Amino acid sequence: MKSAHHSELRLDRQSFLGEESDLVLRRSRVGIVGLGGGGSHIAQQLGHLGVGEFVLIDPDIVEDTNLNRLVGATQQDVANRASKVSVAERVIGGVNPSAQIWTGTSQWQMCAAALRSCDVIFGCVDSISEREQLETAARRYVIPYLDLGMDVHCVGDGFVVGGQVALSMPEGPCLRCMGIVDDRSLALEAQKYGAAGGRPQVVWPNGVLAALAVGLFVQLITPWAKIQDLPILLEYDGNAQTVLPSNKLAYLKEHLCKHFADLSSVGDPFWKPLEAWKRMAGG
Amino acid sequence: MKILFKITSRLLGEVKANLERAHPFAAERVGFLLCRPGLLREDGVVVLSHRLHNVADEDYVDDPSVGAMMGPDAIRKALQVAYNEQASMFHVHLHSHKGKPRFSRIDEKESAKFVPDFWNVRPDLPHGAIVFSNDSAYGKCWIPGQRSPEEISQFAFVGVPMRKI
Repeated sequence: MKSAHHSELRLDRQSFLGEESDLVLRRSRVGIVGLGGGGSHIAQQLGHLGVGEFVLIDPDIVEDTNLNRLVGATQQDVANRASKVSVAERVIGGVNPSAQIWTGTSQWQMCAAALRSCDVIFGCVDSISEREQLETAARRYVIPYLDLGMDVHCVGDGFVVGGQVALSMPEGPCLRCMGIVDDRSLALEAQKYGAAGGRPQVVWPNGVLAALAVGLFVQLITPWAKIQDLPILLEYDGNAQTVLPSNKLAYLKEHLCKHFADLSSVGDPFWKPLEAWKRMAGG
Repeated sequence: MKILFKITSRLLGEVKANLERAHPFAAERVGFLLCRPGLLREDGVVVLSHRLHNVADEDYVDDPSVGAMMGPDAIRKALQVAYNEQASMFHVHLHSHKGKPRFSRIDEKESAKFVPDFWNVRPDLPHGAIVFSNDSAYGKCWIPGQRSPEEISQFAFVGVPMRKI
């Protein structure tokens, strides 16, 4: 009885999100790809919010160099070579034991089928090409995609911390339309392939960007504060400690995405129903 | 088996606007949603709608005993679209009320007759029938290899706000 009572009270302070927001959140299925600096914050916040179903994908294990920013990770996880998804699973389960969590420890492309039934996908991947691939996968299954990007750049004698959160809605402007993905960046990234090294990362910008993305998710699925204008591209200046809507949005009003021009590319590219039905039947 | 049906808010708006238009003699309109399926990791399929195919005014049969009766040309054209565009076809109509709609007995009877016909042109694909209300939906899906249709388990309206029913 005590635990049931606690369960009812757990979300009491967020009832302002809407009459049935608890139910809506409990019935939500969210995919998080990348459970490192950004994704671990998102998993934690969605766990607290009461999201009921998770698909967590990350092939990496926890290392010493992750402990400066990976929410929930401990020295023991490093010693145990724990996977990042297992840390997120523990964090979510700690506040919401009834959450249903599916974890994948391969590259997300190898277990992408698990993402198809998600209501929203959070992309917390490092490379531009992966972000484009993940967005394409989300569009194929008509899933809103929230993309997070954070970087620390050396400029002159100092370091500049910045990042952005973008909401890519089916039929709306995509990451290419927003200038987050472009051929030049992809080419540069391809040239550096295999020589990435340890990129500078720190905890709080990830936290800011993750919180913004979670806020957009809540706006998307609850009646609390309806999103008024699409697309959404929020830019974070970590040095000035500001978050502003991108200037690019002025050019994206009424913009028709030519990269995903319509919905005609939805669904499985290779539909093999007989194999599929047999598999479903356990054959 | 879980059957998830997805439609964007924009396409749903287009469907409803189209079905709400008055017809010269039919009491209601019908149409077809072109869809493509995706296999879910868990036991199930997601049906993703991507375009509306209208039934032309002249392809209705004047039958006052029902809200709308499609003539043979309506079916023939829909079959042609299914074949040409490799589409799963979902028949759609509208019940203008709030709350969960249901099929009428005529809906049940008629859809059981014509939906399996789409397997003549696209035998591998699931097909179905859906009734929308002002704020909800109900439908059935005919899965290849299964004799009886299954109820669509969940509808997802993708837009701002997102809604699942």
